[in-house]
Amino acid sequence: MQQNNMFEKTLKNIRELVGEDYFSDSLEDRLCYSYDSTIEESLPEAIAFPGSAEEIAQIMKWANQAKMPVIPRGAGTGLSGGSVPVKGGLVLVLTRLNRILEINEADYYMIVEPGVITQTINDEMDKRGFMYPPDPASMKTSTIGGNVAENAGGLRGLKYGVTKNYVMGLDIVTPTGEIISTGTHTVKTATGYNLTQLFTGSEGTLGIITRITLKFIPAPEHKESMMAIFKNMNQAAQTVSDIIKAGVVPATLEFLDHITINAVEDFKEIGLPRDADALLLIETDGVKEAAIKEIACVEEICKKNEAFKVHKAASEEEREMVWEARRTAFSALARVRPTTILEDATVPRSRIPDMVRGVVEIAEKYNIQIGNFGHAGDGNLHPTILTDERDKEEFERVEKAIEEIFDLALSLDGTLSGEHGIGSTKAKFLVKEVGDEGLDVMKKIKLALDPNGILNPGKMFV
Amino acid sequence: MAFIPEYNEELVKCMKCGNCQETCPVFLITQKESRVARGRLRLIKAVIKGEIDITDGVQESLLTCLQCDACRISCPPGVPVNDMLLAAKAAMLAKGKKLPDTQDQVRISIKDECNPFAQTKKERGAWLPPELRQPKPAKYLLHAGCAISYAQSRIGKAVIRILKQAGIDFTMMGDREECCGDPLLRMGAKQEAEKQIARNKQEWKKLGVEYVITPCAGCFKALKENYSDDFKPLHVVQLFDQLIKQGKLTFRKPFKKKVIYFDGCDIGRHGEVYEEPRDILKAIPELELLEFTKNRENAVCCGGPLLGSYPDMARKIASERIKEAKALGAEVLVVACPTCLLNLKEGAKEAGIRMDIQDLNAILIRTL
Repeated sequence: MQQNNMFEKTLKNIRELVGEDYFSDSLEDRLCYSYDSTIEESLPEAIAFPGSAEEIAQIMKWANQAKMPVIPRGAGTGLSGGSVPVKGGLVLVLTRLNRILEINEADYYMIVEPGVITQTINDEMDKRGFMYPPDPASMKTSTIGGNVAENAGGLRGLKYGVTKNYVMGLDIVTPTGEIISTGTHTVKTATGYNLTQLFTGSEGTLGIITRITLKFIPAPEHKESMMAIFKNMNQAAQTVSDIIKAGVVPATLEFLDHITINAVEDFKEIGLPRDADALLLIETDGVKEAAIKEIACVEEICKKNEAFKVHKAASEEEREMVWEARRTAFSALARVRPTTILEDATVPRSRIPDMVRGVVEIAEKYNIQIGNFGHAGDGNLHPTILTDERDKEEFERVEKAIEEIFDLALSLDGTLSGEHGIGSTKAKFLVKEVGDEGLDVMKKIKLALDPNGILNPGKMFV
Repeated sequence: MAFIPEYNEELVKCMKCGNCQETCPVFLITQKESRVARGRLRLIKAVIKGEIDITDGVQESLLTCLQCDACRISCPPGVPVNDMLLAAKAAMLAKGKKLPDTQDQVRISIKDECNPFAQTKKERGAWLPPELRQPKPAKYLLHAGCAISYAQSRIGKAVIRILKQAGIDFTMMGDREECCGDPLLRMGAKQEAEKQIARNKQEWKKLGVEYVITPCAGCFKALKENYSDDFKPLHVVQLFDQLIKQGKLTFRKPFKKKVIYFDGCDIGRHGEVYEEPRDILKAIPELELLEFTKNRENAVCCGGPLLGSYPDMARKIASERIKEAKALGAEVLVVACPTCLLNLKEGAKEAGIRMDIQDLNAILIRTL
């Protein structure tokens, strides 16, 4: 067939360009690059591991001639189908570009390649007394390029913001194969369209990131941690409200619901009370006196809202124990049923009680198990559906429930995704949030940059 | 096709989160999905679903698994990847997929000469003092293992000296000692492994053996997993630690060095022996004990299990451990496993770093 011949020739050229060691079209590798961390799967034609922006630019030029889809990929741990080759084509793995090129301590920025693992950045910052705050749960394996493409979040979002707040500039290979540089090394800039923020969070559909300038900040001097347990969800929600009203912005303010608490106890038996309705984990950080004052304020608020147990960590070990509960939450939920689906619908903080209640009602309506936990401080909860994908009937109910969770979030003035992105999994719902005209503007931008629609097709738009 | 059907429930649990990428030494070197638990499980699924046959590529993906069990530590639903990969290797063989030549030769060598190194049975006991070349009834059986018997008899001799110094009455199979069967299990030759294990058990029972002690971590793991219904397995470090604490072994010379202890996977994550070697080292006068950043159950494999079959990869993995040890300021790297010893030495060459790498027993001989 004509198309297959074009791909064959193109792939042959790409194989020669990157070298035999960095190209594969074996069925084994095609299977291994057909997925990310969602249930979406689709086989690519081939996989390439380019070594430079120039190689990537050449690949895009050839791909455009052949109208061959190209799907950029980091570690492939995304939660919205972003790196799944849903229309076949070439998976372009960017992990060879993995150097930290510069850490500028005078001007507080670093220049990194997209394949650097976010934890590595964290470690380098730690060594020097700095902090790159965005800490997505996947940071030990996910790449900074993937984080930027998806505008990844994390636990520190409330106080410190998310990935997009730290991206100062990008090198991009456009879908048609040009190499551009966006952004600056200055703290402020007012020059031209804000392309840096256009490509950030564009999920690999508008350009391929080959270099990132990230800002960082001084590391906080001191941290305080606390766990508060509530018999009643509303008390916990009120506590969150009151903390913010009091002018305290904790570095982290996390929430575990009844189902999650019990899953954690089933798994690790750390001593959480099983009849608790909600658990809050709070961390304050900053100048020592401030962090201590803030946690004292938080403690008072928890007690005022009738927390029946409040535990302030008195040492580093205790701090670790407090956070073990949060870190274990997902692993614990993942052990309840064979299939675990993590959702991401986000609402303004004040609507959290309604969101939590609404999710419970949806779970009851469709007779499925949903554990809820997440970033109570910024409204980004993670309703986690516990199911078995082999039970077709139950899975149909799960899919309906997921759509209702989206509708619920939108009805509460929220958003479809706080930090996982739209990808392929939420593409059909995007219009509900941005409207037909909004979607139209997005499509115009996409068409302008990618006239042949080859860069990560099937994502963002249906 | 049915392929490790006994693990169908476990296979579904993999949610493809990719956490295994954090801890898999082979993935960290290769950066390839087919070289990490998530990818390997996807290929197993593909075989079951009929998407792919058991090709050379599938086989290689599964055979390059170190069986180090590190992925279990980072896997949220706790998929038993180590067990599944072992079962998958056995299933591949059972379905007629012949092993690559290097590994098939190991299998044949164990079958014909009771050791994996293509050496002869005749030479096995040559390193032993005459009184230990034939077995006699005893409570303790010292099983040297093939690596020590054929390649690192210095370690074996050190262990024998220490046991005699502590007045332990023990026997050895000597000339008639045979492989514990672990290499066969690792390559999936399950039936042949079981035959080998049965032979050993039969011989040892004749001697009334209660404890089987070994300086080889691989044998120790095999003993724990396959022989402990009939015998109590001990790595020599466990016995020596006990003897030191009982005052039956004392130190007469210091060892004034910065020593880093490497937790091999067979003695560590599989054998669950972490503190005894450390206690021994801490008891040695003037020794300063350092730790790898990831230690005990989080320790990262040296790559040794691939030294025979995929040596380049084994050396690259080992060189990373050497670099880590060097960066931490270690002068001596101490192990309790002959495979770690050999492969880490290769790793030092690969890294171009000079590092004194010693078996724990060699340090004991110098200080007791």
